[in-house]
Amino acid sequence: MSGEKKIEDFYGDYATLTVPAEERRSTLNLFMVYMGVLAVVAAIFAGSGLAAMYDVSTMLHVALAGNIVLGIFGALTAYPGGVTRANTYMLLRYPLGRVGAMIGALIIAGISCGILWFAVETWLFGLTTSVIYPGHWLTSIAAASIWGGILMMITAYMGYRSISILSYITVPFWYVLCIIGFFSALDFSGVSYQAMWQLGPEQMAPIGTGITYVIGLYAAGCVITSDVSRYGVKPWSGSLAWALHVTIFMTTLLFIGGVMTLATGSPNVIVAIANIGLGAGALLLAILGQWTTNDNNLWSGSLAFVNVFPKFKRGTWVLILGVIGTFIAGIWAGVYGMSLDPFIAFGTMLGCFIPPVGGVLIADFYIFRRFVLGIKDPAQRYKFGPGTKYGAINVPGIIALFVGGFIGWLTTLPNYAFGVPALNAIFASIILYLVLIILMHKAGIRYEVGTWIEKETGF
Amino acid sequence: MPMEAEIAKFRRESELSIAIMLVLGVITLILAPLTGHYRGFYLCLALGLIIVIASGAYLPIIHVKKATSLRELAIPAMQSLWVSTSMGLGYVVTALAEYFKIVLPIAATLFIIGWVILLFGLYRLIYISKKAGVPLAI
Repeated sequence: MSGEKKIEDFYGDYATLTVPAEERRSTLNLFMVYMGVLAVVAAIFAGSGLAAMYDVSTMLHVALAGNIVLGIFGALTAYPGGVTRANTYMLLRYPLGRVGAMIGALIIAGISCGILWFAVETWLFGLTTSVIYPGHWLTSIAAASIWGGILMMITAYMGYRSISILSYITVPFWYVLCIIGFFSALDFSGVSYQAMWQLGPEQMAPIGTGITYVIGLYAAGCVITSDVSRYGVKPWSGSLAWALHVTIFMTTLLFIGGVMTLATGSPNVIVAIANIGLGAGALLLAILGQWTTNDNNLWSGSLAFVNVFPKFKRGTWVLILGVIGTFIAGIWAGVYGMSLDPFIAFGTMLGCFIPPVGGVLIADFYIFRRFVLGIKDPAQRYKFGPGTKYGAINVPGIIALFVGGFIGWLTTLPNYAFGVPALNAIFASIILYLVLIILMHKAGIRYEVGTWIEKETGF
Repeated sequence: MPMEAEIAKFRRESELSIAIMLVLGVITLILAPLTGHYRGFYLCLALGLIIVIASGAYLPIIHVKKATSLRELAIPAMQSLWVSTSMGLGYVVTALAEYFKIVLPIAATLFIIGWVILLFGLYRLIYISKKAGVPLAI
């Protein structure tokens, strides 16, 4: 690890360093932060996709099955962070190489989360606020996107500490209010609890289709679990927190969205809450939900950028990325009414390359280092600290990342549709990585190109 | 002050904070049947029960926990207080909403209790965090 000497956290939030013992948090803290990321209205909207396919009972089972898969995948990627105390972009220095990790960091969080999804979610925030409180200039899409973006920038700038405080105050209230909105929508539409279970479309889709849909919703989120799990008091804290929150609460949110769609024709829990005379409640639900999710996007994006361009500190990157994202949401979309489709399309295409990043990490940490290199102690598999030598490019890792991502993207196209694109990408990258690296290792061929020595700052 | 005495004092303070939350939660449960409508009744039942469970479950844990530092007591105390504080916010937002049809005196009482829970919770969280030297969101 980093040795006995205390190293200064130059970039902030241990963006390039391992998290020290005094900064570790309880399993509940990690659970709350993950729950804060999940607490977004879009998660409820996703339930309407299931409602078009299944009756209520089948929908519940399908959502649970898909989320169990997500729970396992996320728990596997969270553990390396928990045991080494390093964030995702540092962990990638091994399966992708130091320069490869920069490419991975930009794909995963830098551009995807930090700019594109931050902009889209900020715009969604503006849109939702304008629906709840129409007719006031402060709640117009443009203005709400701008002040919403600023709110998100503030907590992301202040770092993990303030993100987790916001999650603690928001998360229990948010989920309770969601459940209240759900029951009041049923109450308003006159659907009884017994009648609810009879709701459903005339023809149901195959079970696999629904499970595929659920996994595709959050597969990308599973890859950056180490950004939070590295703070866990126990190495397994992040894995447990991730698995529990996804299997229980994502299932609940999908169920709520699905039943609301079947009962009322709309999954919009915020509008339901606004309709029942909970104006402030609906607004708070929208603000806090979007806030706890999008500040995390920005925070992860800033961590990624520090690991690529160390000229600025993490907080400065938050401001740069936040201003770009807020500009896109507030000015591009809000003022000029331009479509965000190009950003969403680019984000979706990049999103195909995120799951294979998790794939190569799992293959390298759990299989290659454990069984081929014979490193039994998980804490010894990845080492960090000034003077540590990394390969600049891990050739099998980079090939597996891009080929796996390409296969994932290809299977999203109608002509090549097959299985779950995200899972296709993961499995393709795992298999390809292991085949290439084991063959090269056994043949004595160097699989890493170039050398990078870690500096005092951790870069 | 010797460490044992400081821990004992801190334990009493933490227990008292959670006990106050417990009492406030019980009061809202008692008010549930007086809300005048089933919607208000279920609202109080939901929020009140969460406060009572979060406080009632942690109180004995803190009471019997063998602690060698303030931090060991602060962690469970703060976890309990965060849940109750968040529910206080729930009462502030929902108590006066038209939908729940809660009679005005009870709605006003719940609204005030919500603010008390919210502000008291935040105050105690900051106090415990500073005294034990642990992060606010531990």
